[in-house]
Amino acid sequence: MPFPNVRLSNRPLHFIYLCDCSGSMAAQGKMQALNQAIRQSLPGMAEVAEQNPEARVLVRAVRFADGAAWHLAEPTPVQELQWRDLEAGGITAMGEALSLVADALQSPPMEDRALPPVLVLISDGQPTDDFDAGLSRLMREPWAQKAVRLAIAMGHDADLEVLQQFIGPEPARGGKSPRRPLQASNATTLAQYIQWASTAVVGAASMPASRVAQSEESGSNIPLPDLPPTLLDPTDDVGPLVW
Amino acid sequence: MIKAWQSGTSCSVIGAAHRRQGKPCQDASLSCQLGSGPQQLQLLAVSDGHGGSRYWLSDIGSNQACNAVRESVEAALQQTPLSDRDQWLRQLQLELPEAIQQRWLEAVQRDWQQRPESATTPFSSAVYGCTLGFVLLAPQWWGCSGIGDWDLVGISAAGEANLLSEETLQGSHGEATTSLCQADVMVAWRQRAQLQELRASDPLQALVLSTDGIRKSCATDGDFLQLCGQMIALESGDPLKQGLVEITAQGSGDDVSVAIVQRSGPRSTRLAHGPAALAIAIVAAGAGGWWWWQQRRPTPSPIEREVVQLCAAPERIKASLSQRKQQFQQLLQQPKAAEALLKEPERDPLGALIASSAGGSATLQACPPLKAALDAQWRMARKTPEQKAPAQP
Repeated sequence: MPFPNVRLSNRPLHFIYLCDCSGSMAAQGKMQALNQAIRQSLPGMAEVAEQNPEARVLVRAVRFADGAAWHLAEPTPVQELQWRDLEAGGITAMGEALSLVADALQSPPMEDRALPPVLVLISDGQPTDDFDAGLSRLMREPWAQKAVRLAIAMGHDADLEVLQQFIGPEPARGGKSPRRPLQASNATTLAQYIQWASTAVVGAASMPASRVAQSEESGSNIPLPDLPPTLLDPTDDVGPLVW
Repeated sequence: MIKAWQSGTSCSVIGAAHRRQGKPCQDASLSCQLGSGPQQLQLLAVSDGHGGSRYWLSDIGSNQACNAVRESVEAALQQTPLSDRDQWLRQLQLELPEAIQQRWLEAVQRDWQQRPESATTPFSSAVYGCTLGFVLLAPQWWGCSGIGDWDLVGISAAGEANLLSEETLQGSHGEATTSLCQADVMVAWRQRAQLQELRASDPLQALVLSTDGIRKSCATDGDFLQLCGQMIALESGDPLKQGLVEITAQGSGDDVSVAIVQRSGPRSTRLAHGPAALAIAIVAAGAGGWWWWQQRRPTPSPIEREVVQLCAAPERIKASLSQRKQQFQQLLQQPKAAEALLKEPERDPLGALIASSAGGSATLQACPPLKAALDAQWRMARKTPEQKAPAQP
């Protein structure tokens, strides 16, 4: 009999985009910038996945506008992913999007041995539905509690308060922390944030160290990597103020 | 008549991811006999350092955990007759955890005081953080205790495997676990403590104690239980070590440790495999005839083992080498660095392999994909920055 004659496997790492597709995203090229940023980030993400063969990076995406729906429903290996453009139109059903993700994070279908998922919420506005109910539903799921939750605010109309609620408690110390919403006011900054989330964060989440339960270090389930040098302060923007 | 325990075995193997990154193995394990005569007891232990930047001395922490449990059980053995099961249960629940934690804390404090960092940074046991699971094997009973995310599996004479102990954390987060570096965790120790009496008709054939890297390498818990049943058939030493190398390489990439003990008596044919069967099996698993040739040789060196492992999984070669670009550069700039790597190849087998490949290694002739990848990395390292820059349109 062969040894090991069982199914050994690398561990799945689910990366889920939650993308605001409300009508306001059509303005000033925001939707186009988001599509381009995600598309451009994929080769880097695939390279990180290749460097960490113990993790199987699987990407999904939810779009939310008048309602929420899976834009990319099947957990797709990043190497095989062909990004299909999102389109803007409607209002901002962010709460419904969180509920949709909550369903996906139930166990099953989530595998017991998965790595902590990475959830990236990107929005330019304020939720128009029951955000609290959606967040509450999401955070009832153990996998959501374990997830690395990041938020990117596109432009200055984004509701930083709800994005912070999605991430979790704000760090006690002021200043630089990816545990606050990342504020992008132009396409360049947005692309840098998306690139950071899809490479540095995916890399860190791919090889998590054990963590002492209930220790004061928590706040993030994996040690988040530093923001890129040009983006050390999430409120310091790079380039012109466009959005 | 109650079947006797055979001598146990233990083994720790560095994780595939840690090896690639040049990090040390943060696991430790132990299997030993303590006491003598009617007070003879066998001890198995596994410890898993947390790793990560916050726990940067957890490789020392895990080794000290194994020392602490051995010393504490030795002390308890001098005071407590093995026939007094109630007292041993109390030992497993309360007295041993306190003694182990105290000894461990003192040991890591001593280690810290010898470090230059101690002049500027106050001591924190957290940097040594690790888990610890241990099993005591007496003629009439067995017991276990510990803290953290280790697993204990029992295997019956019929080959049926059952999970006997696992960590169940309420509201746990991510890779969270309880740890030796935590104060006030006696409840967590007590939850893992148990003592089981052995009877003549007891179906228990073997116990497999393991760190979490093994369970996390398996697609399902069913696969993990099946794997434990297969592991007890491996012979200790190189076959077991090579088996663990396969598990981490194909699975979680984490460091992996096991401690295994069996009872005398006939083993189910479902579990019986000799070394020849193992070797054939691994060939069948895809490692190829070259691997078989390697296995027939006496005790391969760490570099040879590294070659075997990489050659058995060619898709991982590029990922492994691309993370060592700086090492290739360093070896070109400081040829003496190669001597240090080759002097102690077990410390960084991949680094030693890279160092040995600089002048062409005979070992590599049998593995063309690895040789080609190493040659490509050396060519890249020798390029000047101008040559590396992409061509301008």
